[in-house]
Amino acid sequence: MGESKVVRVQRNALEINRRHAARLREAWRGTGTLVLNLISSPGSGKTTLLEATVARLKDRFRLAVLEGDVATERDADRIRALGVPAHQILTGGACHLEARLVQKNLEAADFGELDILFIENVGNLICPTSYDLGEDFKVALLSVTEGDDKPFKYPGIFSRAEVTVVTKADLLPHLPFDLDAVREQVGTLNPRGTFLVTSATSGEGLDAWCALLEERLAAKRAAGA
Amino acid sequence: MHELGIALEIHRTCREAMAPHPGARIERVTVAVGELTAVEPDLLESAWEAAVAGSPDEGSEIRILWRPARQYCAGCRADKPRAEGSWLRLCPDCGMPLAVEGGEELDVLELAFIEPDGEDTDG
Repeated sequence: MGESKVVRVQRNALEINRRHAARLREAWRGTGTLVLNLISSPGSGKTTLLEATVARLKDRFRLAVLEGDVATERDADRIRALGVPAHQILTGGACHLEARLVQKNLEAADFGELDILFIENVGNLICPTSYDLGEDFKVALLSVTEGDDKPFKYPGIFSRAEVTVVTKADLLPHLPFDLDAVREQVGTLNPRGTFLVTSATSGEGLDAWCALLEERLAAKRAAGA
Repeated sequence: MHELGIALEIHRTCREAMAPHPGARIERVTVAVGELTAVEPDLLESAWEAAVAGSPDEGSEIRILWRPARQYCAGCRADKPRAEGSWLRLCPDCGMPLAVEGGEELDVLELAFIEPDGEDTDG
């Protein structure tokens, strides 16, 4: 029997993903590209919010979308239909995106220099939470049809997302959804976060959302200048 | 189910740490897992078993140290007790809004490994 030894390691368990994410972050700092990582349940309206967002911003900014999905090119097609470049990342069953996968697909997509890159993660409130993709910030979406107890049920994502976007707010009159309760839960998990209420159907909140993106892009450019 | 990917990365991290010890095999790895990392300890244990299966580290142990998040009251300047898996919005003592802190750990802390027999005694 050999000798037993103990060494202290003290490294993050996702160190390798972190290294890839750090390289992406460095590259995007160089190009002054604002990068968002959008995380939510399936069907909460990530692609619909992006459609409304790119329609408003595409004439003034160079935009692109990376669409993470288990299967189908459907989401990327929806963005391309608006004249904005999109690339589908098919994970083939994996429940989240990793930085290396983003890097690889970014090379394949060859978007050129961008002002804003949207990364739509696989629809899932749990697994994508732990994976840094090199983004400037995470955005958590919560549609009003999902129920008003979700932030406390999924504290991982709602505590990490710098911005929480409530979607489908036009349906609020028809649902027993306590918006204040959701705002308070998010405030507990993430006191410094931003909370927005939107509807892609009525247009509610989209000005504030797009203004936030413009502000963050300008701040990143100013910091890098 | 992303625990398998995390287990594979922990294994790779261990292997990097053992690079100066050729032929060594893992006996036990100790990791800290925070409550807000979306990593389930039981699933991580199963994933570890799968990650090391068929490697020299098969049969090794993963020891998980659970790190709960805390609820801090800025009014009382103190952490407030809470039930596992539940959150309080307001401080039960002073009524101020509570904040959630900590629980972000996902770290490989310590690695125990077995070196192969030193001098081969040709026994």
